[in-house]
Amino acid sequence: MILRFKIAAVFLATAAGLGMSQPALADGDVVCGSGPQSGWESERDLRRRVFQEGWELLRIQVEGDCYEVYARNQMGQAIEAFFHPETLEKLVVYRRGREIFRKEGFDG
Amino acid sequence: MSIFRLVFWMVLAIPAGLMVNALVSREALAMDLYQPSGEMALRLMLLAMLAGPLSTIFGSNRFLRTWLAVRRNLGVAAFCYGLLHFVFYLIDMQSMAAILDELWLPGIWTGWLAFLLMALAASISTDWAMQKLGRNWKRLQRGVYGAYLLACIHWWLLDRDPGPALVYLAPLLIAWTVRLSVTARRRNTRKEIPA
Repeated sequence: MILRFKIAAVFLATAAGLGMSQPALADGDVVCGSGPQSGWESERDLRRRVFQEGWELLRIQVEGDCYEVYARNQMGQAIEAFFHPETLEKLVVYRRGREIFRKEGFDG
Repeated sequence: MSIFRLVFWMVLAIPAGLMVNALVSREALAMDLYQPSGEMALRLMLLAMLAGPLSTIFGSNRFLRTWLAVRRNLGVAAFCYGLLHFVFYLIDMQSMAAILDELWLPGIWTGWLAFLLMALAASISTDWAMQKLGRNWKRLQRGVYGAYLLACIHWWLLDRDPGPALVYLAPLLIAWTVRLSVTARRRNTRKEIPA
């Protein structure tokens, strides 16, 4: 019983530690490295950019220092993409939490 | 159904009503409702699962007795929110082909499995099933622990952030840990009392 208690305590401490070590930003694990919003391209331009990709746009939002796009790609897959707000470069794309694209050299 | 239970279910249904209203009035997309419906299911599951350990820790009192009495209702309500979450998914995905296409992704199959385990527990939540299944009833109901863990992993993978999922795991882990220490202490105290 004592051993079980110890195992549970260690498990609990690990969970608590992991919880506290998380960054404050929820879902903000992508850092685009952009400057102030005054220098950002407009959402209209981003819409055009998404259209050029051949995606069906569901939503655009600002996430941290990135533009985040929810869309469906040409294969009908639900995707979440991050664009650099100053260059509108596609930086990283996730499909249901799994990374399916990353711009070469981008590590943000 | 007693008035208490009726009011209880009506209160539990309010968030669902608000979510459906947001969807129908086009204030929100189906994908916007994944998080509130899924989180509501987790909250209700957590409440259902906390009743047992808290009763052991604090002993019997009126509040905890009432909580235990509605535990099954909380579990079924959690399943109803899981079902709503699933319906929002169907609406968002639009086609069976798209659903099947992403079934293999860990962020998705963990959700499916959690939902199936909850459906199993909910389907045997009647008094009749409880009597019929005897000891197996409890065994099958234990599947909700797996469902809860899988649902947390599902959220973690989709959000790419373990933070919110850990917030939901922590209260259970704390309650279970304290219960273990309380039952161990009680057992030791009993042994020390001379016969």
